[in-house]
Amino acid sequence: MFCGGRAACNVAESGKSPERNVRLAALLARVALGDQAAFAELDALTSSHLYGVAVRILKDGALAEKVLQEAFVSVWHHAGSYDAAKSQPSTWLAAVIRNRCLDLIRRRELDTVTMTTDDDEGREFDLPSGDPTPVEMLLAGADARAVRDCVDALDAGPKQAIALAFYQGLSHAELADHLRQPLGTVKSWVRRALERLKGCLDRVGYTRT
Amino acid sequence: MNLSRPDRPQRLDALAAEYALGTLPPRARLRLSRAAASDGAIAAAIRDWEMRLAVLTEGIAPVTPPPRVWAGIVSRLGLAASGAAGADVPWWSRLTFWRRFALTSFALAMAFGVTLFMPGPKAPDQPIVTVLAGPDAKPVLIATALRGDRTMTIKVVGAATVPAGKALELWMLPDGSAPKSLGVIPDSGVGRVTLPAAPDVALANVPALAVSLEPAGGSPTGAPTGPVLYSGKVERFY
Repeated sequence: MFCGGRAACNVAESGKSPERNVRLAALLARVALGDQAAFAELDALTSSHLYGVAVRILKDGALAEKVLQEAFVSVWHHAGSYDAAKSQPSTWLAAVIRNRCLDLIRRRELDTVTMTTDDDEGREFDLPSGDPTPVEMLLAGADARAVRDCVDALDAGPKQAIALAFYQGLSHAELADHLRQPLGTVKSWVRRALERLKGCLDRVGYTRT
Repeated sequence: MNLSRPDRPQRLDALAAEYALGTLPPRARLRLSRAAASDGAIAAAIRDWEMRLAVLTEGIAPVTPPPRVWAGIVSRLGLAASGAAGADVPWWSRLTFWRRFALTSFALAMAFGVTLFMPGPKAPDQPIVTVLAGPDAKPVLIATALRGDRTMTIKVVGAATVPAGKALELWMLPDGSAPKSLGVIPDSGVGRVTLPAAPDVALANVPALAVSLEPAGGSPTGAPTGPVLYSGKVERFY
């Protein structure tokens, strides 16, 4: 990305403009009818963003490719379950890819008796240098001013915990390890931060836009 | 995870939040996603949180995936070899569409118990009728034209749900060429469109009609831009 290392400059590209979402919703509807041209266009419009999300969370290019492929195969089969009245297509697609990444990470935890920091070394992935930190991304992502204000209003610790969980898929235990805090503290940071975020977003009427 | 307790809404909201964020522990995550499959309230709580957090993915720099990812998707699904090849083929000429359409037509003929081709003398009041239905084969619209009249009448007989800012547009699907618009139609009551010629001529090479969802005022491009919601076979009562 030739963006000087700031995530903010990519917001427009991956953006959630109303026109883009109208287009994506129309494409999803056509994909539900088995329309291959629509499927190809959907891939062209969204795969860079979705792959970026997978690479960010999994930190492993090969795994991210696998998850992206599975996500699109699933979209082809289940596009009909997308309900335009209930969520934006970009939101739905982002949730599809994030959930697949998180399922993979959490399943691996279930398979691993003890989770040690050594496990992280096996899934290192070279990200471009000058990459924004999770908190920077949190603020860059919150492009709508109201959302940005709500995120910014969180205390430093909880904000950091939310950012690491969201962008790197860290569990409570990993967050505690990473932030050098007791597990109970981290859990309550996350819980309270989510509550505050919800209260703030609901107050400014952000939901379902 | 007992979700039947009186404080269920608060607990559900907290669980859904941690699910969407990704911090719910593995087993709880699995249980909640399974529960969501059969419980609409759980699914809705998760969806609300996914929507709240979705904007945050926009801070992530896009990375172009290697071309082998798309090639793998195409080969796993057994689709046409490349996106470009598929891009030439619009929905109205896809096999899937016609297969579904044929099934719908058959189901309608059975449901109505109608003998559709009845030979008889030609008269101006003989109708050309198309029953348009969605994928569930339930009739939603009935389009009727009399042989001597260029007006086609469309009666809404089922529940047509049109989101705000959208409109239904009626199309002729000529054999071997692109759909031709007959105009925007209402989502309830009775509407009328004018055929480009007398029905016998205008519909001579038109085996089917379809309705797509378009921006208010109709497709801006002259071709369908939205999904096809209903379709039906053009039937002549003569």
